[in-house]
Amino acid sequence: MSAKPVTLVSDTSSHENASQLEQEHVHDVYDHIAPHFSQTRYKPWPIVSAFLASIPSGWVGLDSGTGNGKYLPLPLDRPGESWTIGLDRSSNLLNFAKSAGGKSREVVLGDAMDCCWRSGAFDYAISIATIHHFSTPERRKWAIQALLRCLSPDHGRALIYVWATRQDELSKRSIPRASPPAHDELPYKVPRSIGKDVFVPWKLTPGAPRGDSKYHQNVNGKDEISSTASQQTRRTDFDRYYHMFDEGELRLLVKEAAADLGIGERAKANETLSGTAKSGTFLEFVQDDWERSNFYIELRLWTI
Amino acid sequence: MVRLITHNLLACHAKNCTQTKGFPLAFNDVRVETKEAEFNADFLKSFYERKIDWDALVGAAKQLGDTSLPLERPEMVDDDFLQLLHHVLLEIHVEEGEMICPNCKHVYKIRDGIPNMLLAEHEIG
Ligand SMILES: [Zn+2]
Repeated sequence: MSAKPVTLVSDTSSHENASQLEQEHVHDVYDHIAPHFSQTRYKPWPIVSAFLASIPSGWVGLDSGTGNGKYLPLPLDRPGESWTIGLDRSSNLLNFAKSAGGKSREVVLGDAMDCCWRSGAFDYAISIATIHHFSTPERRKWAIQALLRCLSPDHGRALIYVWATRQDELSKRSIPRASPPAHDELPYKVPRSIGKDVFVPWKLTPGAPRGDSKYHQNVNGKDEISSTASQQTRRTDFDRYYHMFDEGELRLLVKEAAADLGIGERAKANETLSGTAKSGTFLEFVQDDWERSNFYIELRLWTI
Repeated sequence: MVRLITHNLLACHAKNCTQTKGFPLAFNDVRVETKEAEFNADFLKSFYERKIDWDALVGAAKQLGDTSLPLERPEMVDDDFLQLLHHVLLEIHVEEGEMICPNCKHVYKIRDGIPNMLLAEHEIG
């Protein structure tokens, strides 16, 4: 991300609903900036690399919100021993992801809120810098539930990364202090006031590669060269929507997402010792931490 | 790409459909390319033993014109069998075409090797 001041989302009332906001300020933006974005996003984050390096041989996983697919080739020292399938909402980014690292990769155009897989299909899943693009707590929870549903209940592992209100001191970004916009959805246990909703600018410099609007696919798979799309190919400034997470917010959201699916939080080690467990699927937090302006959680599922 | 490894995991997720009934998706009107892939016995064995839906794989391979796999799921996993499995699972790429849900008949298009699993707002369950 370029170091530009952040402006708060101040006028959500002009957006008919959350999905329209995300269409305009997430999906359309990524489709247009895809080549430029892809050029600047090639370095894997160390904690994500370490997680993928810890995946046993023979496992199959999902990268939900794969973008240009930079995590699909990992771990580099054991190619082909585990398989990560990439999912993203931007077909232009997937055109990069499908040959990430110079080899054919498996990629699927889809929404991270939907589970288009056999339930329990994957041994592991990663969701890196994706869930913060959903614009209501409900939609962020659905995205976590989609991850949990596609994981093997008896051993599935996941790593989730989101942008944090607690920013790195080295970050030149300045976060304006103001209350987030009011939403008017159903009652929700995660407090509305938690976190911050912001727009982050992306500027295409003159000569920067642009997304080819011919590739823009709508839900029917038809080419969509709308008048706005062709106008946008000339645009240089884009505002991406982010929900910046507060301390503890991601953990709360994961717990609630799991609870709705009948998955309680319980550490496996304690249970083995006490031996009083009822049967069921449980979730254990393995890591819950902050790193370089992001919160991340590693979890695993297990069954009795 | 849509290779049969991915097809074996995908399921219909349209409104009023279920992941068990909406599986496996049926290929229709496809253009297929064959590309060599690196062989990895450990991965194939693990995927075969823990993940694969055998009938779905045999059926999908047949729809793509490959009938090399035995109809019955083999008990013996030898190197010859893994070579067959490797080819069917990882070397056949569906570049264009569609996948149709066996239950609700929803059509998922495949373009430039990318399956489009997006649903319109009213189709989301
Ligand atoms: Zn269906």
